[in-house]
Amino acid sequence: MVTTNAPLRTENLSVVFNPDTETEVTAFRDISFELKSEEILAIVGPSGCGKSTLFNVIAGLQPATTGQVEVKNRQVADATGHVGYMLQKDMLLPWRTVIDNVCLGLEVQGLAKSVRRARAQELISAFGLAGFEQAKPGTLSGGMRQRVAFMRTLALDPDVILLDEPFSALDFQTRTLLQLEVMKIISEQKKSAVLVTHDIGEAVTMADRVLVLSRRPGTIKNLVEIDLSREDRDPVKLRKNDKFQYYFQALWEQLEL
Amino acid sequence: MLNFRVLLSQIGLAVVLLGLWEYLTAIGYLSASLYGVPSGIATRAWEMMLSGELWQHTWVTTVEAVIGFAIGSAMGSFVGLALWLHEPTARCLRPFIVAINGVPKIAFAPLIIVWFGIGMEAKIAIAAILTFIVSLITTYNGTLETDKDLLKLMRSLGASRVQTWLKVVVPAGTPWMLSALRLNVGFALIGAVVGEYISSQEGLGYVVYYSGVLYDLNGVWVGIFALMVVALLMDYLVTLFERMVRW
Repeated sequence: MVTTNAPLRTENLSVVFNPDTETEVTAFRDISFELKSEEILAIVGPSGCGKSTLFNVIAGLQPATTGQVEVKNRQVADATGHVGYMLQKDMLLPWRTVIDNVCLGLEVQGLAKSVRRARAQELISAFGLAGFEQAKPGTLSGGMRQRVAFMRTLALDPDVILLDEPFSALDFQTRTLLQLEVMKIISEQKKSAVLVTHDIGEAVTMADRVLVLSRRPGTIKNLVEIDLSREDRDPVKLRKNDKFQYYFQALWEQLEL
Repeated sequence: MLNFRVLLSQIGLAVVLLGLWEYLTAIGYLSASLYGVPSGIATRAWEMMLSGELWQHTWVTTVEAVIGFAIGSAMGSFVGLALWLHEPTARCLRPFIVAINGVPKIAFAPLIIVWFGIGMEAKIAIAAILTFIVSLITTYNGTLETDKDLLKLMRSLGASRVQTWLKVVVPAGTPWMLSALRLNVGFALIGAVVGEYISSQEGLGYVVYYSGVLYDLNGVWVGIFALMVVALLMDYLVTLFERMVRW
């Protein structure tokens, strides 16, 4: 493999369930892509194109049938903890306070309590949730909960963040605000992210490039560069932007819905 | 205010039921020698209180039930939670647990009396076995209900199985463990009382059984009411414990 500075690269990844039996199903095949440093790469595709399975493989939760995953030029196999993973559900632990939820990953890594607290406090303040440190998740709104989940992901300072439809359960206003916030933080903290989404508008708003997958078995159909500046990406102005309309239309036509 | 009204209606309900019972006996509709009668029960209870035997019997049964409850519930909860840590062990043990659960545990009582004698130890052992099984099964099933996405999250964070157990499975299983404790109040008393039925010289089970043999139905009722009081007290203790550990 060529050595580059890609924070994440996959090569010829494929996953086959129940191989060599009658129930053999190929989730996806020949998925090769390279995530550039400090970019957001969106993955869109019809339901059942294996997006979630792809994330599981990248996160090391599930082995690939063929191919490999490299994080910062290091091959990843049967290992976890190298990427930050944020799911559709916020998955906050209801018995833990906000700050203890943010600290979860740091605890798992065995960091000292004072270090964990300091790091978590920094994030909580950055996200404007100061004052809610001791609140239980049950008392927070959906948007606040998802912010806490994002902080928990960031706390480990991962180079690569996997976002698995993290905004799909939120109402429109909250979603729009959170998209902006997440974009801002990812660029400020110089992170790279892969975003799986059903929402083409979200992909165009947030991503630098969009990977379009085909129907199952998922293969890469196209890779679309989204040429919009950070300033263009204001959600209100963006809707009226001709380029937004163009990309939206182009991606829509490529999805085999 | 609401609590006060609830309490008042609870007392009212008890008074009405007991009053009706007394009235139906007075007009000759119910026979006191077949059913007992509230005034007779009160007199019998008063006599037993004055002589001190009611306290003695209640104390014995309470100690048996509470110690059996504590040993059985603690061990059952711990084993139930711990089985999650090693799935092959859990799978291996499963049919044995199901088999033991299916048997009426009371069938073990004669064996236990042979092993532990006719003292309090035997009753404690019976109460402990009953509550152990209930806690074990409820708590283990609870651990299996842990949200799969939470387990996935922990794995993605790089957590070991033990870390996942401590930080997710045990707290998530706590409500299950607590609900087993509530059931166990009843099971611990069943264990103690049945043990006393089989062989003993003291305890509320002995009071109920012996009074029954003598056709002293008021005495049977005294024992039953005393058991209810013990059950309420134990349930209250569980509530206090619940407040301590609930998230």
